[in-house]
Amino acid sequence: MKSRNLSILLASLFVIANAVFAVGARAAGEVPPPAAIGSTIEDFTLPDADNKDHSLKSLAGKNGTVLLFISVQCPVSNAYNERMAKLAEDYKAKGIAIIGINSNVAEDAAAIKAHAAEHKLAFPILKDSGNKIADKLGASVTPEAYFIDVNNKLLYHGRIDNARNPAQLETSDLRNALDAALGGKTIDKAEAKAFGCTIKRA
Amino acid sequence: MRFTKTILPITLCILLASLAVPAQKKGRAAKPRKPVAVVSPIDTEALKVLLTQQREGPLLVNFWATFCDPCRDEFPDLVKIDKDYRPRSLEFVTVSLDDMTDIKTSVPLFLDSMKATMPAYLLNASDPEPAINLVDSRWQGDLPATFLYNEKGEVVYKHIGRVNTAELRAAIEKVVSKKGDGQ
Repeated sequence: MKSRNLSILLASLFVIANAVFAVGARAAGEVPPPAAIGSTIEDFTLPDADNKDHSLKSLAGKNGTVLLFISVQCPVSNAYNERMAKLAEDYKAKGIAIIGINSNVAEDAAAIKAHAAEHKLAFPILKDSGNKIADKLGASVTPEAYFIDVNNKLLYHGRIDNARNPAQLETSDLRNALDAALGGKTIDKAEAKAFGCTIKRA
Repeated sequence: MRFTKTILPITLCILLASLAVPAQKKGRAAKPRKPVAVVSPIDTEALKVLLTQQREGPLLVNFWATFCDPCRDEFPDLVKIDKDYRPRSLEFVTVSLDDMTDIKTSVPLFLDSMKATMPAYLLNASDPEPAINLVDSRWQGDLPATFLYNEKGEVVYKHIGRVNTAELRAAIEKVVSKKGDGQ
């Protein structure tokens, strides 16, 4: 009986210690390092704004998929709304699917739905509650893109292009990566730093 | 008779004047505020010079933007740090990563609201990546980001995300005390 009580006490202490450590780790504001180019992104399932679950596999394009971390409120992400909508439209025909992911703690499903309708974002947008997928991929800002091939191998990570202001557009890094992959060529620049608003983690 | 000829007009004048004052105030409030703070554009080359040039004391650089919540949240602490350590030879500059179109509006208005008087810059680069790599190749460009350089231009403290004020103050104390100012 005594040993059973001791086991329960030790188990409780272990749970408490883990909880304290987890809070401490979050308080430090550390974002896990981004997934490495060439690494494989595991399949995951997240709900859309109507709370309907979708797996990555079920939404993937036949020639690859872009996971795009976006936001409702971030002005940088919002500066890309038109470009993101056009990107989804242009590459849908080429077999590349765009999947939006919203990991911001303060942006709920209703806000995501209203924002997508207002800005005509026709691609699926999934709610990453608890920023689990953002943590898994090491996403830190919005907008931030991860392009994976049909085998979920990461081919490109980073920004959509160089400029928040479309008038200053010089290099469309994400489009260049998609075009290279579609053409069976090597992606010259597989990583380009994403610039935007920090993802507000839970 | 005397009342209608003298006292009544005077009373009316005072009454009208008292009504006019709030009307004027309303009129002033309706005008858009003109910011006092001056924000200078800085390109990647000039940023490089700023970070690497020889200086007499330590340099603290905070990268921020008005659209960044943790940046705005930490700003009052940074203003206090500037007030406390500027007399002790700490040079403190802020570099905004807002859009160039915000250089005379939202950026200086925010600095005014914070009563911030440290030199303020806004990165004037169509592509922020070279500037981000110049500061720290491991920095992803997420904001805020705070870097403390000693007088040799070496990074002695850095923090990505909302700064821990006590930690930053401790790091500053180490470099300002190296100057031997004894304070």
